[in-house]
Amino acid sequence: MRRLFLPLLALALLILALYPIKGTGYGVRFMLQLFMWIALAQSWNLISGLTGYVSFGHIAFFGMGAYTAGILIAKLGWPWLLASLAGGLGAVVLALVIGFPCLRLKGPYFAIAMLGLNEVLRVAVSYFERLTGGGSGLSLPALYASVPIYYAMGLTAAAVTALAYVIVTSRFGLRLMTIREDEVAAEAMGIDTFRYKLYAFLLSAVAPGIVGGLAARDQSYIEPISVFPLIMTITMIVMVLFGGKGTIWGPVLGAVLLFTLQEMIWARFIYLHQLLFGAIIITVVLLMPRGILGVLQQKYNLPRTI
Amino acid sequence: MLGQVIISGLLAGALYSMVALGLGLIFGVMRVLNVSHGPLLMLGAYTTFWLFQWLGLNPYVSLVVSMPLLFLVGLGLQRLFVRRVVDAPELSTLLLTFGISIALVNLAQLAFTADLRSVEFLTGSFVMGPFAFSKSRVIACAFAIVITLGAFVFLKTTRLGKAIRAVSQSREVAQVCGIDVGRIHMLAFGIGSALAAAGGTLVAVMVAIQPEMGQIYTFKSFLVIVLGGAGNYPGALLGGLLLGLIEQMSSLFLTTQINEAVAYVLLVLVLLVRPTGLLKGRAS
Amino acid sequence: MEPILVVDRVVKRFGGVTAINGVSLSLKAGHIYGLIGPNGSGKTTLFNCITRVERIDEGQIRFKGRRLDGLKPHRVFHEGIGRTFQVIRVFPELTALENLLVVTTNDYAAARARAQELLAFVKLERLAGEFAGNLSYGQQKLVEFVRVLMTDPELILLDETAAGVNRTLLNDLLDAVRTLRDRGKTILLVEHDMKMVMGLCETVFVLDHGEKLAEGSPGIIQTDERVIEAYFGR
Repeated sequence: MRRLFLPLLALALLILALYPIKGTGYGVRFMLQLFMWIALAQSWNLISGLTGYVSFGHIAFFGMGAYTAGILIAKLGWPWLLASLAGGLGAVVLALVIGFPCLRLKGPYFAIAMLGLNEVLRVAVSYFERLTGGGSGLSLPALYASVPIYYAMGLTAAAVTALAYVIVTSRFGLRLMTIREDEVAAEAMGIDTFRYKLYAFLLSAVAPGIVGGLAARDQSYIEPISVFPLIMTITMIVMVLFGGKGTIWGPVLGAVLLFTLQEMIWARFIYLHQLLFGAIIITVVLLMPRGILGVLQQKYNLPRTI
Repeated sequence: MLGQVIISGLLAGALYSMVALGLGLIFGVMRVLNVSHGPLLMLGAYTTFWLFQWLGLNPYVSLVVSMPLLFLVGLGLQRLFVRRVVDAPELSTLLLTFGISIALVNLAQLAFTADLRSVEFLTGSFVMGPFAFSKSRVIACAFAIVITLGAFVFLKTTRLGKAIRAVSQSREVAQVCGIDVGRIHMLAFGIGSALAAAGGTLVAVMVAIQPEMGQIYTFKSFLVIVLGGAGNYPGALLGGLLLGLIEQMSSLFLTTQINEAVAYVLLVLVLLVRPTGLLKGRAS
Repeated sequence: MEPILVVDRVVKRFGGVTAINGVSLSLKAGHIYGLIGPNGSGKTTLFNCITRVERIDEGQIRFKGRRLDGLKPHRVFHEGIGRTFQVIRVFPELTALENLLVVTTNDYAAARARAQELLAFVKLERLAGEFAGNLSYGQQKLVEFVRVLMTDPELILLDETAAGVNRTLLNDLLDAVRTLRDRGKTILLVEHDMKMVMGLCETVFVLDHGEKLAEGSPGIIQTDERVIEAYFGR
């Protein structure tokens, strides 16, 4: 069974790489957004799934990336790929600024602080109106680039998943997990939990920053409400919880299942959709806290690299 | 001018204290950070609105409906959901109450729509010498004080109140003393929800009512708890007043836009400098 | 000879309760010390103060002449102090081997070899790949014990490590402690098993209600009236 995995993965990647040649416009856009969600979910997993520190404001990095890239493209004429990478960098800087003070806080206090983060950023965006366009948003010069963005998003998603694999199989990853298991004992074993949390936090901000920039380019328009919405944080969290936090393929599975469902059924009924997400969170936390893959992992004693 | 600001701050602060006490009770007794505290307040506000709309009921009278109603809702939430994660890692309780809050807000969206509502009941101000304060604020403060005092009297003098305080200090010892900890948990969640509902009712007369109105109160309640010390009930009182004062004072110097962010920035600052609270709190 | 650990009039309060009230101890390198006292006398709190899980309110703690009481918890480990916990704190979702591997060391390959060696020492080598949370209570205790030994600390604090471990392995454990002492390590252990303490320790400290009641060799402690009173009531 394990032998088949790599060839199957290679095949899947090949199919995905060739898809835009035959795929419809809608299909490409669907996959593009799916890649984005995979990247977001996997990133959230890196901090919250591995260390147990719930990041409620993670979408802030997406927004930061969107605005950084958006401003670079609209005001300075940067090419969008470079601008998106700069968006990733911007997000990491933000993560450093926030993480440095906030990660010293213990679990629940950190969560509260992150909850407020979104709001602070939204206010900041309105304040710096000249740069960001404030409440009326920022427009980018029009460009139809769905296919290149498809590849960019796909590569980012693949990169983050690969990063997750590397981390989970390393001692660095093990130490991150000890923070989740028992932070006091981890410190007694000489692990500087603050530093490890910070590294994980920074790593978890890169991909959201990049895809934020890519999404801005894709939509050709950003406004505060569209890049800092609570629903995106909720969606990220649900995807990871449902698929299996702390696993490698869990976020991918969660993203695929829930995004597909979202597009096909629920996008029309926004409140019902969010209500359902809330219900899923409640159900998963109560009945299946380890998510689908987590449950399978435990039941069949699967390796951690699942 | 300063006097006006200070008294305004205290008026608002009393309301914050009451609502935060609700959150503080839940946290003190069960170590649960109830992210859905704000939505519970929102439901209280809607209760008042609909009673006003359909029956023309005086909003302040509707307190006797909104508080017991949300008390029961709180009991139900605790019994059905929160009870199961009290001993789980913090991640679980946070996510669970987060999920509940999303569910409540969106239920409200579906049931009530996102249209802004208001309770046009009391307008105008009381003028006292050089000061003028909006009537609804003053009355809200008065009710908040009465309710909060009532809560404290309950905690200090009644058997159940003492049991709640005992469980807040040490669950094991309380159990050994024969206290039914499960019942106390339910009670605490119920009372906490009722206090949130009271906040919602009082606020309904003053602000626009919509499903997302509660979120800012969740946050401010957290802030008050952190200011006053986790698990420190009288501390919540002082913390609320302090928050009210700070907000009003900062509005003198900052634009309204930045003023919104004051509460958040303040929270992070306090958490960094003294996470156990400005007053003597208990480490969580 | 300079003592390796000095606890100097340490006071620790929790709100209104004084858990440790001016306790002073001095440990010399290469000896086995015991810390006993009735429940609630402050033994684990004292450990927590030494390893900086708790901050002390008054007094000083010096290790090899350097003050510990300003350090962050994880730095205490790097100074050369290892400890086990009264309530088992293995990492349940990591395997037994991984529990040892996360301990900060430099060379991965060497660490791996040492980890396997230590697991074999307590006869748990076949459970190396098992999630620590699935092991029995006694097995988890042993994993926690050898985890402390991963980096060869100079001072080892053992908090009720023997509880729940079966008899045969217990003897191996005692031998291990004696071997460590022979190699120049210092061990301070908290135990409720009196026979074990009296048979193993060279000097015993007795705590009661946060104060040091008595100090001396096992023979003296066993006949000290105050100690007997503290344990069996007034």
